[in-house]
This record gives sequence, structure tokens and C-alpha cells, in this order.
Amino acid sequence: MSIKLDQVSLVHPNGHRAVGNVSFEIDSGERVAIIGPSGAGKTTLLRLLATALRPSAGEIRILGDDPWRVGRGVLRELRCRVGMVHQAPPIPPRQRVVTAVLAGRLGRWPLWKGLASLVYPVDIEGARQMLARMEIADKLFERCDRLSGGQLQRVGVARILYQQPDLLLTDEPVSAVDPALSDRVIGELNSEAIERGVTLVASLHAVDLALHWFPRIIGIRGGEIAFDLPPARVTDAMLKDLYASEAAVPTQTNAPLAMQPTGIRRKPMCS
Amino acid sequence: MRLVHWLVLAALLAVTWASFAFLSLDLGSLLTGEARAQMWKYVVSFFPPDMSAEYLVRIGHGTLETIAISAIGTAVAAVLGLALALPASGRFGAVPRAVARLILNFLRSIPDLVWAALMVMAAGLGPFAGTLALAWHTAGVIGRLFAETLENAPTEPAQALRLSGSRQSLAFLYGTLPNVVPQLVAYSLYRWEINIRMAAILGVVGAGGLGQMLYFSLSLFQQKQALTVIIAMLLLVVIVDGASAWLRRRLAD
Repeated sequence: MSIKLDQVSLVHPNGHRAVGNVSFEIDSGERVAIIGPSGAGKTTLLRLLATALRPSAGEIRILGDDPWRVGRGVLRELRCRVGMVHQAPPIPPRQRVVTAVLAGRLGRWPLWKGLASLVYPVDIEGARQMLARMEIADKLFERCDRLSGGQLQRVGVARILYQQPDLLLTDEPVSAVDPALSDRVIGELNSEAIERGVTLVASLHAVDLALHWFPRIIGIRGGEIAFDLPPARVTDAMLKDLYASEAAVPTQTNAPLAMQPTGIRRKPMCS
Repeated sequence: MRLVHWLVLAALLAVTWASFAFLSLDLGSLLTGEARAQMWKYVVSFFPPDMSAEYLVRIGHGTLETIAISAIGTAVAAVLGLALALPASGRFGAVPRAVARLILNFLRSIPDLVWAALMVMAAGLGPFAGTLALAWHTAGVIGRLFAETLENAPTEPAQALRLSGSRQSLAFLYGTLPNVVPQLVAYSLYRWEINIRMAAILGVVGAGGLGQMLYFSLSLFQQKQALTVIIAMLLLVVIVDGASAWLRRRLAD
């Protein structure tokens, strides 16, 4: 079992309930997309999984541990095995791309190695490989504030690939990346999860990307689970209902979802 | 004008007059012919400045000493200031924060000239006392500025690294420091610029550099040499102001 949530709620200090009574389990090696309108609680849910937020109620187990009951040492061990890609990668603007990518493995490095890498990057080749998978190997020594939003998001993904965690969490990792590259980035994340047999949980704004790449779709609205199904069983009505607060079901190009003759939207390619 | 304003004005005039009376200052004696003649004689005695090669060498030595005092003093202050700014920014809890702030306030509230007088007693006459004096006072000023910079730095980058298992020290070095370094360097350069000017007068209490030369020559009634020192100080300040402004402009982008 990779993730287990039991009646988990999160109430922000201002009284807003971002997540309410959510329960689900995700097995090791599963690939799950979380979709839902803005403000549905996607980011909060991922931050709960990343051990960034402590649930106000309910129980949460990540990779077999309850992160809020274990000691500091165990928690740090656990966090080494969890990687998160943020929608706006929190990377210092003046940092070089290579350093930002190598920072992914700081948890596993001894102190001296972390210090040495500040003076001269200790694994340039490793960083270059991960950036190549994101098609930005040429930006290796660029400063991060010289990158576009989409390029920075890909640096964030390269960092998590370099970290090699057992649980990959990504919060709208391609919101600023153009459609063709988005497909490539989500594809790389999926093949990473398949090759190493690790778990991937991704929140996505573009529903077509989610339906295309992930064998399991969790739709959330108002902090609660609306549905939890394989993509073939997610119907138009469910999506319309889920995105009732928005003008249309969001896709990469904002075109309506393509319907295949059998009524199945798209076959997941990697399941 | 209202009556209150008139009363305030009258009170101010009365206080000014009372101060003169209390200190027995006689402004009138400044304007007598004799006083003016004496002042003129003293001003003229400064000219021409002593431009002998031998004295210029000593001036050069004093200038270098002043620059060195300010550079080392500022560098030590930057290190000490950063060490105090970390707890003062609340990174280690409320108690270390309060203690560090108290130390910074103490260091800062004693002016550098007073520190210099104290250090001359502790470390003896000469540049070492001046360096220590600048280091103490500047550490207080710079530590406070560093602490505020650290408090205002975004927490997300370091937090993200902590969440992927990084230890706190490395998360700080990789996540926080790159965001604040330009600001820390700019503050240090600015304080260095101030400290060069300060180092030039610290010598008056015996803490080395150009100030000490000025004090000696004035005490020994060698006005021509004193003028050379004053010119050297002026040149040093003009050059340093220009260089520092240029450097900080370059660093800003």
C-alpha cells in the first residue's frame, strides 16, 4: 500500500474546509490523476500527501508510515522517498538549473556532498540526463530566472526525476507548458513510474491529458471525492457535473473532448 | 498665527537665550577685529600643504591602513552579523530570537567612536583597536539588516527541499541563501563605504589610520601636514563613494 487516507479533513485556520472526509487507497505502482475545477482542493490534497500539511481530522499513511506519529528521523527518511513537483516551482531565481536539479537528492546526500555541490556541481551528467528527458538539456548552466514559466516547470520535473522517489506527486506540472511538450512531460513521468514500479499521483487541469495517460481518475469538487473510476467509465455527464462551476470542461487546447465510436473517450496507452 | 504658535516661538527664543547665558558664550567676541585676525592667521598657517615625497609616503601608508581597517572590520562584522541574524530572524525559536536581538541592539546602540575608545583601552593604540571597534558596531547594524532580509525571504524554496528530506542546513543554503545573497552583499558594501569614512576619523581616539595622523599633526601644531591628511581623506571618500555606487549599480541586476 502506497497511500491510505481514512476520513481525512483539512480545515484552514481561517475556517475554510479545503478537504472534507476523504478516504481512498492507492497501491504501489498505481498511476492516478486528480481532476476538478479550480479551488476544488486538488493542491491541498497533494500537500497532505506530501506531508506538507497535517490533517485536521482522520488518518493518513504514506508509504506505510503515519508521518505525524513518527519521530523526526523517520519522517526525514520518509520525505526522502516522496517527491513533489509544484505548479510554480519554488526555485530561487538566481540559482543555476544544474544546482536546482541536483537539489532533488539533498535528502540522500551526506552534508559534505551537499556543501561541495554548492562550490562545484557534483553530478553534472546526472542532471543533464534528466534535463534531456525534459528536452531542456541546453539550459543546464542557465540561471532559473532566465527561463520561461514552462521551462521552469520542466526543471521542477527534472528535479523529481533526479530525486528518484517512491511516490511521485505532481501539482499541475504542465500548466505553463505548451500542449505537445505537455504530452511529452506527462509521458516521461508515467514511464518513470512504470519502469521503477513507483506510484504517481498527478493533479491536472487538462482533462484530456488525465484521461489519456492515467488508468485511474479521481474527480474532486468542494474538497470531496465526486468519482474514482478508470477513464473508460468517466462519462460526459460526470465531467459536466464536476466542472459545473466553469464555462466548459477544460482541455489542453480548450477544444471539446474527442469521442470515440465505442463511447470510450480514449484508451490509456500505458496500462 | 494662533496664540499657541506665538507662545511656542517665545519659549524657543527664551530657551536659546538661556542656553547661551548658561554656557557663558559670547558670540560678540567672535566678531571683534582681533578674533578675525587670529582666525585668518590660523587658516593661512595650513597653506601650502606638505607635499614632500617623504610625507606623501606616510600619507599613502595611512590611507592603506584606513582602507584595511574598514575592510577587515566590515568583513568580520558581516560574518558576525550573519551568525547573529540567523537566530534573530526566528529560525531557532522565540528565546534565541530575543537573545540575538538583544545582543544586536547592544552592539548597535554604542557608537563606533565609543567602541574605538573602549578598544584602545582593551587592545592598545593602533589599527587593531580601530578594526575591532568597527566590527562590533557594524555587526550590530548589519545583523539587524540581515535578520530583516532573512525574515522577508520567501520560505517556499527551503520548505520544498525540507519536504523532500533535505536537512535544515542544506535547505537553507540551497533554498534561502541564493534569494538573499545580493541583498546581503549590497548591505555589506554600503556599510563598508560608511566605515571607510568612519575609519578615517576613528584615529582621533588613537585607533590608527589617517585619523591618527590628523590628530598628531594638529596636536603638534603642524597645520601644513594636517591639511595634507585632510586632502587625502577627502580624495579617499570621493573615490570610495563613486566606486561603491558603481559597484552596487552593477550588482543590482
